Amino acid sequence: MITDLITDLLNTFFNPEKRVFVGYLLSATLLALSWLMWIERQGLQASLKKIFSLSIWWSTSAKADYKIFFINKMVLILLSPLLITQLTVATLIFYQWHEWFPSRPQWFVSWPDWLIAVMFTSSYFLLDDFMRFYVHRLLHQWSLLWAFHKVHHTAQTLTPFTVFRTHPVELVIFSLRSIFVQALAIGSFVFFVGEKVDLITVLGANAIIFVFNLLGSNIRHSHIAIHYWKPLEKIFISPAQHQIHHSLKACHHNKNYGVVLAVWDYFTGTHHHSEKNQLLVFGVNEPSVEPDQLHSLWGMYGVPVSAFFVSLNNIVKKMLDFEGKREKIPRFSFVFSDSNE
Amino acid sequence: MNTQHLLATLVLSGICIADVYGSDKDVYADFPITTKGYTGKAKTSVKYTGQTARHVIHNALKKLSSAGNGTANPGLKAQLLAYYEGKEAGRAIIDPITNGKFIVKQTIIDELSKGKNLSEKVYKGIISGWPGNMTGPEVLAFMIDKASMTEKGYDPLTGYDYTQLISKFIMGAVFYNQSIDNYLDEKLGPQKKPNNEPYKKGAAYTGKEHVWDEAFGYFGTPAHTMKLTAKDVYDIAKKKPEALIKADYNKDGVIDLKTEMAYGHAYYAAGFDKKGKTNYLHAITQAFLDGRNLIADAKGEALTDVQRGQLKAYADVIATHWEKVIAEAIFKYAGSTYKDLQKLKTVVENNGDAVAVFRDYAKHWSEMKGFALTLQTGKKNLGETAVALNRLAGFSPVLLGNTQISGVDANGDYTQKTSDSLEAYMLHMLKIQKLMVDEFSIQARVNDVLSSLDGLAKKLSSGHSAEND
Ligand SMILES: [Zn+2]
Ligand SMILES: [Zn+2]
Repeated sequence: MITDLITDLLNTFFNPEKRVFVGYLLSATLLALSWLMWIERQGLQASLKKIFSLSIWWSTSAKADYKIFFINKMVLILLSPLLITQLTVATLIFYQWHEWFPSRPQWFVSWPDWLIAVMFTSSYFLLDDFMRFYVHRLLHQWSLLWAFHKVHHTAQTLTPFTVFRTHPVELVIFSLRSIFVQALAIGSFVFFVGEKVDLITVLGANAIIFVFNLLGSNIRHSHIAIHYWKPLEKIFISPAQHQIHHSLKACHHNKNYGVVLAVWDYFTGTHHHSEKNQLLVFGVNEPSVEPDQLHSLWGMYGVPVSAFFVSLNNIVKKMLDFEGKREKIPRFSFVFSDSNE
Repeated sequence: MNTQHLLATLVLSGICIADVYGSDKDVYADFPITTKGYTGKAKTSVKYTGQTARHVIHNALKKLSSAGNGTANPGLKAQLLAYYEGKEAGRAIIDPITNGKFIVKQTIIDELSKGKNLSEKVYKGIISGWPGNMTGPEVLAFMIDKASMTEKGYDPLTGYDYTQLISKFIMGAVFYNQSIDNYLDEKLGPQKKPNNEPYKKGAAYTGKEHVWDEAFGYFGTPAHTMKLTAKDVYDIAKKKPEALIKADYNKDGVIDLKTEMAYGHAYYAAGFDKKGKTNYLHAITQAFLDGRNLIADAKGEALTDVQRGQLKAYADVIATHWEKVIAEAIFKYAGSTYKDLQKLKTVVENNGDAVAVFRDYAKHWSEMKGFALTLQTGKKNLGETAVALNRLAGFSPVLLGNTQISGVDANGDYTQKTSDSLEAYMLHMLKIQKLMVDEFSIQARVNDVLSSLDGLAKKLSSGHSAEND
């Protein structure tokens, strides 16, 4: 367990497949520095001070991020053997295609290998990015799921480590999403396109994700509001746009769910441009969230579970209510439904 | 010479003998004679020449079964039967024969062992994977008869490649069955062939010594396998001239078929192992050596229950690995069959010439089928797995008109029925591969239809799934 934890931690920082790979942290720092000095016209010292500000990196909120990062690593080590592998699901999908298309049509046979790799890599990226957007949207819209995703949003300061501020239930949801997306892409492409299918990688990481991370994906969880030219913000989400997603302001709620591409938000009406000189307060403003519990372990691990059951209770109650009215039968009072009234 | 000197010489020579013997414990040869009261001239208790003769007979049948000219050929049939069930002296060795520098020592079967055939050793049960509800010996006699009438062992009307079917089925119904189900199973019992008696009157070997040797002989690997790589053994079976130096363990310049040649299952085990993912050949050979050492160490006394228990554990290692080798072969040829079907479909769709593709399809299918029959001749009843395997494979490959062999009528002619399409049959091959992986946990997985799934899954890994947005 201890050695697993150590290798896992090293892997988090030295594997280019991970968001906080040292190379990406370095590129993000350089980008942030350039932005502050050349666009915002601040001096070197002031810029460095802003980037490495202790009030952000050592805030109660940030310290909670670090704690949850370590605890979740252990949770994942225990959890991952229980999860089904994407290979198993990919095999099932391959079989299912074979049942539906027994003759196994082979497409793009005459295409060169590199073109097939480009097609697979970009299709996988599109599917994955869309599913991240879609699942994120559900996490906000379903109260049952929001109970868990709220943990990510209670962060009051943002650092690259805020990506790990995640409830274990959400970890499971993310893992299942990844497994499904990967299995669907692999199973379908290998079935219809054949053995030439390949992923383009850089240093072992998906090439598109590599570029995204190298271009400062870590800045989206920071206080440096790098924004893009407006038309570009309709295609790619800028760091400033994701910071809006974390904003307390009511008009910013439920905006910019996307990860890399902004188009999904744009076409579903949840797109929001970055704002000039945006100065945001991060966090959530809900009566259910006790301020002193925000960054405690109980607040991050226990409260979401109880919030989940409260919300489940409300849903059940509404359904019973509805049934009762429709059937015109006197409503039963369930023991568990009284406690919250 | 004083007594002290004599004693010293005796002790020294004793050490020397022990030393020579000790250093060769990883060669399946020269195990001492332990039979009490043996008075003959033999210097070792190791003997499995009967098994070697049967390997050579199998090789001959493989060659002869593809010698047909396409019409009824009583001469060829008689020749096939002479090897299969005859015992006459003077039968020539047809394979392995000298190939350039690869010089073979023996030229007639009697030089290995006299009066040997295969028919007496064939598994006697009903072969449910083959049409006609026949026993093992009946299936072989039937196949030999059909093969003699084909052109080069292949019947384009049924998709049967008899050369492959006969060869693979012999490997199962004789070699695998005799070794695993007879010698390494029943004959390891306390009453059968005990170790404190000679195998038969006047023999240089005890009951258990010979039982173990015969089981080893059927596996078909060179006695010095532990000193060779899987690739060496593979090359030896292929009679590559450059393999002579590897095969010729006693450095007499020729290949002794009794101890220096590779046959049958050992060849397939080596073929999978040389890919680097498995170690079947050496695991099986080592277990045979360990068992043989255990018996030699008993020094001609009856084996205790503990010793027999240990021996059975070695037998289990042999049986499990051997079974995997067969499952790997089924997996491999189901994969080739799948790929042939893909090609066949394309050729048919484009009105191309299907003859050559169909020939490959028939060959690979027959290899797969032969091994599928083989798998069912071991000691354990495979139950559902056997049923699934037989149903997925069917009695024949699916033919171009979507028909399949369904049985054998009273005249010994095949009957056909409408079957799944060629396309659906592809899926059957895929399911056979999955069945082999699920039931036998095989690792080499040659011709894996799903190999690119595996490769891509590794590349994608579960990368950034733990990160929030
Ligand atoms: Zn975020
Ligand atoms: Zn969110």
